[in-house]
Amino acid sequence: MDARVWGILLDSFWKILIKGIQVTIPLTVLSFFFAMIIALVTAMIQYANVPILKQIVRFYIWIIRGTPLLVQLLVVYFGLPNIGVRLEAFPAAVIVFSINEGAYCSETMRAALEAVPVGQVEAGYCVGMNYLQIMWRIVIPQALRTAFPPLSNSLIGMVKDTSLASNITVAEMLMQTQRIIARVYEPMALYLEVALIYLVFSTILTWLQRYGEKKLNAYEGSK
Amino acid sequence: MAVLSVNNIHKTFEDTPVLKGVDLEINQGDVVAILGPSGSGKTTLLRIINFLEKADQGELTFDGTTYDLKTISKKDIARIRSKTGFVFQNFNLFKNKTALENVTEGLIVARKMDKQEAEKIGKEMLDKVGMSDRYDYFPSKLSGGQQQRVAIARALAQSPEIIYFDEPTSALDPELIGEVLNVMRDLAKEGMTMLVVTHEISFAHNVSNKVIFMEDGVIVEEGESHEFFANPKQDRTREFLRLIEARHDN
Ligand SMILES: Nc1ncnc2c1ncn2[C@@H]1O[C@H](COP(=O)(O)OP(=O)(O)OP(=O)(O)O)[C@@H](O)[C@H]1O
Ligand SMILES: [Mg+2]
Repeated sequence: MDARVWGILLDSFWKILIKGIQVTIPLTVLSFFFAMIIALVTAMIQYANVPILKQIVRFYIWIIRGTPLLVQLLVVYFGLPNIGVRLEAFPAAVIVFSINEGAYCSETMRAALEAVPVGQVEAGYCVGMNYLQIMWRIVIPQALRTAFPPLSNSLIGMVKDTSLASNITVAEMLMQTQRIIARVYEPMALYLEVALIYLVFSTILTWLQRYGEKKLNAYEGSK
Repeated sequence: MAVLSVNNIHKTFEDTPVLKGVDLEINQGDVVAILGPSGSGKTTLLRIINFLEKADQGELTFDGTTYDLKTISKKDIARIRSKTGFVFQNFNLFKNKTALENVTEGLIVARKMDKQEAEKIGKEMLDKVGMSDRYDYFPSKLSGGQQQRVAIARALAQSPEIIYFDEPTSALDPELIGEVLNVMRDLAKEGMTMLVVTHEISFAHNVSNKVIFMEDGVIVEEGESHEFFANPKQDRTREFLRLIEARHDN
């Protein structure tokens, strides 16, 4: 590689990274936060077998998991204006990613809730706790611990999926890269560069995941 | 005075009758042992008495008030449970709580006791079961016998009028059974009222004052403990005791 390409890479590195910090990370963090809330609520509805609401949750999960994320983004950003709902690109992306990730994580959470032995709930009743107290203090903490590794994987997957938001004009890392490519025409080098930045993000999260798991193990003792 | 009595309890699981009209009366200070072969309905009976399972039919009298088990309200259930303790075969300690937290959880969360007072009681109860050096251990770091003793401390913290035990030593390695039985023996000496499903004949013989033999969902025989073992009246009881003794001799 010649000096020109190195120069471009060096120059673009910060331009891409800054978008990562300004857009990709906030998009991921916000979406994952809302996704966790959606996941927890919908998982609890399924776990507690709440009639009607449970059917609605199943329907939601069926739709979201059965259609491509990219199509969901396009429907919300380009489709909804047809019926009078106009959203800015970034909030549209947050909404879609939250709802999408929420559906997947809901299933993870449900499985984790169901993996908590029923004896834990019964013991709670026997010391006088009510259902919500037992859920909040006994079942959910244990389920979150079980769900921590798969939820971490979901988070890492989400960092990469945010690149799809470039399709609805969110100026995140990939969009920025494409803009630079259009100017300097070095697609190979620049796409590899942005891939490397995603890799760094994912790697950092993987370390955090390992650290978190270790903490959880130390806290509760290994199983 | 009777702390607890139940009347005509019936329970069917998927077309299989498991309890077919069980009556029971437990007086203040009684230690009642329930014996019986596997599948005779002992666990189901205990679970129904503490509302972990719903009876198809039957009445329960607690503290002088009689409730229909089919229609009893959540409020009454909560009230009765707050005066009883339950010890499970497999301990069921809260896995995300330390030994001390296991004991204080119900006091703090259900009874809204302040944390300091709850911890004082919690430590007292753990000391009582010989777990004073393990307050901050999580259940995963305790042996089965230790876990069961914490579970007993948790039940005691309720200051219960009666404690139900469902085969409290059956999940334990043989060398750990003694420490749990010793704790139970001490409780009996202090006058704690207990209903104990057990396969430990020596406990039934030496600690309990009353023994009930159940089979196929009915009480076959019941009586004062020494009398029960010295002079079993029913053929079925004699047969069961012979089987158990044979097993113990091996
Ligand atoms: N939730 C359930 N659903 C269906 N059948 C059940 C259920 N719980 C218990 N049974 C059945 O009820 C019968 C009595 O069970 P129970 O557990 O009360 O017996 P037990 O006397 O405690 O036996 P063991 O000494 O093995 O503990 C058994 O045949 C069991 O298979
Ligand atoms: Mg049983």
